[in-house]
Amino acid sequence: MANLASFFNALPGAVSQGLIWGIMAIGVYITFKLLDVADLTVDGSFCTGGAACVMLITSGYNVWLAILAAILVGMMAGLATGLLHTACGIPAILAGILTQLGLWSVNLAIMGMKANQSLNVSNHELLVSLRYLQDVSKGERPIWQHPIFVAALFTLVLVVILYWFFGTELGSAIRATGANPNMARAQGINTNFNIVLGLMISNGLVALSGALLAQYQSFADINMGRGSIVIGLAAVIIGEVAFSHIFHNFGLKLAAVSIGSIIYYVVIQAVVSLSEINTNYLKLISALIVAIFLTIPYWKGKYFAKPVKRGGSSHA
Amino acid sequence: MKKVLAVAMTAVMGLSLAACGGSSSSAASSSAASTSAPASSAAASAASGSGETYTVGICQLVTHDALDAATQGFKDALEEALPGQVKFDEQNAANDPNTCNTIVNAFVADDVDLILANATASLQAAAAATEDIPVLGTSVTEYGVALNIPDFNGTVGTNVSGTSDLAPLDQQAAMIQELFPDAQKVGLLYCSAEPNSEYQVNTVAGYLQDAGLEVEMFAFTDSNDASAVTQSACDYADVIYVPTDNTVASNTGIIDGICQPAGVPVVAGEEGICAGCGVATLSISYYDLGVTTGKMAAKILTGEADVSEMPIEYAPNFTKKYNPTIAEALGITIPDDYEPIVTEEEPAA
Amino acid sequence: MLEIKNVYKTFNAGTVNEKTALDGLSLRLEDGDFVTVIGGNGAGKSTMLNAVAGTWPVDSGSILIDGIDVTRLPEHKRAKYLGRVFQDPMMGTAPNMQIAENLALAARRGESRTLRAGITRAELAEYKEKLKELELGLEDRVTTKVGLLSGGQRQALTLLMATLKKPRLLLLDEHTAALDPKTAAKVLKLSDKIVAENKLTTLMVTHNMRDAIAHGNRLIMLSAGRVVLDIAGEEKKKLTVQDLLQRFSTASGEEFANDRALLS
Repeated sequence: MANLASFFNALPGAVSQGLIWGIMAIGVYITFKLLDVADLTVDGSFCTGGAACVMLITSGYNVWLAILAAILVGMMAGLATGLLHTACGIPAILAGILTQLGLWSVNLAIMGMKANQSLNVSNHELLVSLRYLQDVSKGERPIWQHPIFVAALFTLVLVVILYWFFGTELGSAIRATGANPNMARAQGINTNFNIVLGLMISNGLVALSGALLAQYQSFADINMGRGSIVIGLAAVIIGEVAFSHIFHNFGLKLAAVSIGSIIYYVVIQAVVSLSEINTNYLKLISALIVAIFLTIPYWKGKYFAKPVKRGGSSHA
Repeated sequence: MKKVLAVAMTAVMGLSLAACGGSSSSAASSSAASTSAPASSAAASAASGSGETYTVGICQLVTHDALDAATQGFKDALEEALPGQVKFDEQNAANDPNTCNTIVNAFVADDVDLILANATASLQAAAAATEDIPVLGTSVTEYGVALNIPDFNGTVGTNVSGTSDLAPLDQQAAMIQELFPDAQKVGLLYCSAEPNSEYQVNTVAGYLQDAGLEVEMFAFTDSNDASAVTQSACDYADVIYVPTDNTVASNTGIIDGICQPAGVPVVAGEEGICAGCGVATLSISYYDLGVTTGKMAAKILTGEADVSEMPIEYAPNFTKKYNPTIAEALGITIPDDYEPIVTEEEPAA
Repeated sequence: MLEIKNVYKTFNAGTVNEKTALDGLSLRLEDGDFVTVIGGNGAGKSTMLNAVAGTWPVDSGSILIDGIDVTRLPEHKRAKYLGRVFQDPMMGTAPNMQIAENLALAARRGESRTLRAGITRAELAEYKEKLKELELGLEDRVTTKVGLLSGGQRQALTLLMATLKKPRLLLLDEHTAALDPKTAAKVLKLSDKIVAENKLTTLMVTHNMRDAIAHGNRLIMLSAGRVVLDIAGEEKKKLTVQDLLQRFSTASGEEFANDRALLS
């Protein structure tokens, strides 16, 4: 299928997937960039969100209720990591790993001790689905049910809410905690509380993303979150490298993360659609994409630095 | 540089939106084509001899012997039925269920004529992605479970059908009793991450309990705790049963390394696993299963059959097989109607 | 105002690195006292300030601010009584937040952080006025990230943050030590001005004996985790560096040893 037309036909799917994962990446951005914590809980809480969502929808609950429940269980996962870190004094990375480990069993339990739970798209009205891509293009569904539209709307609403929240006293306190915990405590900020809160918000977003992806692909799988921290970091880094010089506003920075995720998935789709590369090499290619985006700013600084203008007048 | 990237991104976004808007017309025409295909089945089958070509997308979850064999059987059968007329686009998700989305998304965008979904996650993603393109599953144990169909009657009834790799579990339970009449306790060892394993061990456990044996489940999560769980299964059991389980298949070395020294024989659900750590198995051939699937595909492509009316098919025949190396090491006498598993490895072990 | 009663603190207890930093320290500050603190290496100057601030719990003894026992209060809860400026200019501000945002964080010290706006327009105008008083031109750069400021600018900003909401007690922990002499003098002058204007009770640790004599109404000298000298009023005004060195060796029975003190 090595032709450009099929790649362009596949783009809507890739962009949808990128937008859905972008929500997870925004969660990663909150811990990684704002709180300065590498939170590995996400590999588990992503699946927790998907599992909770699928189980509730198949049990006949409303899809919005299922999404809300997914966000709440994700926040619980963040709470667990937060308490392990702050109350029990376990280093953040290890606390995240412990929660992730424990979530394996929790996720299995949520899915009725099964590794994979399916959601039949024909029997339930979902928010996003691979199927709706085709339905919209065939005219069977209105354009606003297109996964790109729905996922973009979710992203937009979240960016607006987060932009507002991190401008409040509480949100500023979380940012201060990540920026300089000593200063934060000296200004009367309870840094432990803020770390826990930040982890809860982050993992709530991650679980929301998992819930949307499970709907999109019609199943939750115990392995679905594996490696998602890497995708999240990739999106954060790609977004930062591509847009840091033009996006200074906090809201735009969050949007850049989402776009970073889209770029990631478009590249992956291009690899699948355009090349004859064995897809077993996808992980290697993912690693290369991230490595390239990490290298660009470094090399730019090292080899392509613009000479500093001295005085200005003589050389002007 | 940044600006260029930003502009490029905007272009990509714009194009993708254009694609989703524009594809309404192109997909409409393609769906018209696909709906007309079964309708004009007579014409299609007439054309089958005249060299019409088909594209078949193959989405395989992970590389291992059983799934590879099924894919190979599928391709061989289809190649035989429609020589030179089928172009295969073979993709592998490297055991990441999410990658199946990307793969089937490409197939659907490419408007392939048929999708082979090898293993459960592939099937789920393919079934979610399209309701027009025929999807055939293989190496899937239970379609009702995989697609969340309550009261499954053997035919999916949509654009999905396929083959099941289920070996008759009652006969597997009977085999345990036949080979080890003195066994009292059977340990059922499997990976909790495998969609199909729980179903298999529960069913086998039921048969064994009916026969008056004690059973206990031993589930491990991945290769990291496989040895610890296998050890406790060995401590408990006279005989261990392992189902058709991808993770077990990848960790037979660990299981064999613990069970053989402990003198606990393993009865396996599948030949590949038996070759690695088992004494005996009731085997289906994944290659044969793939061939069965390939024949179904040929009928669908030529319009001879309608996928929505095709029931799930099973492996054509089962063989009692044993692993001569391990059986000899444990001093187990194997009845004459068992075939030895021939491994292609050098006889170093 | 501040009462430190018989406080002990030992670091790395039970190891080869065991170090008794505070050895039955007692000190009492009256309202409006501006106390300069000097002492040799490891005398316990910064340790005393950290004990008051609650950076870690003390082993025994008690600390009272305005008669309230804060000994068991965590650091962030004590913060409502305290304004702090640290030796390291990096420590007192959030580098990737704006100047105005840093000030807004400080303005809410001791209050619960709610979902109200983190900074209001009215506040911004007020901060510009206050920044103008620093005479560093920061009033035109309120949206600049603090990370882009120089060490001296940061210390001046931290000083403003520490006093924006009037603290019961101002803790200055060698806050000019990392600055060049000219900037140090400027920040010190600013400190004097702010303390005088707000009539703040202040503890200022310094390594510079001349500064210790020139500033404040009272001078204490620490040695081996306790107060060995306490000079106030007229007596302090007449003090010279030579006097101080002599009185130190009389009081502690050893030579005054501080790597930086003698050099400056």
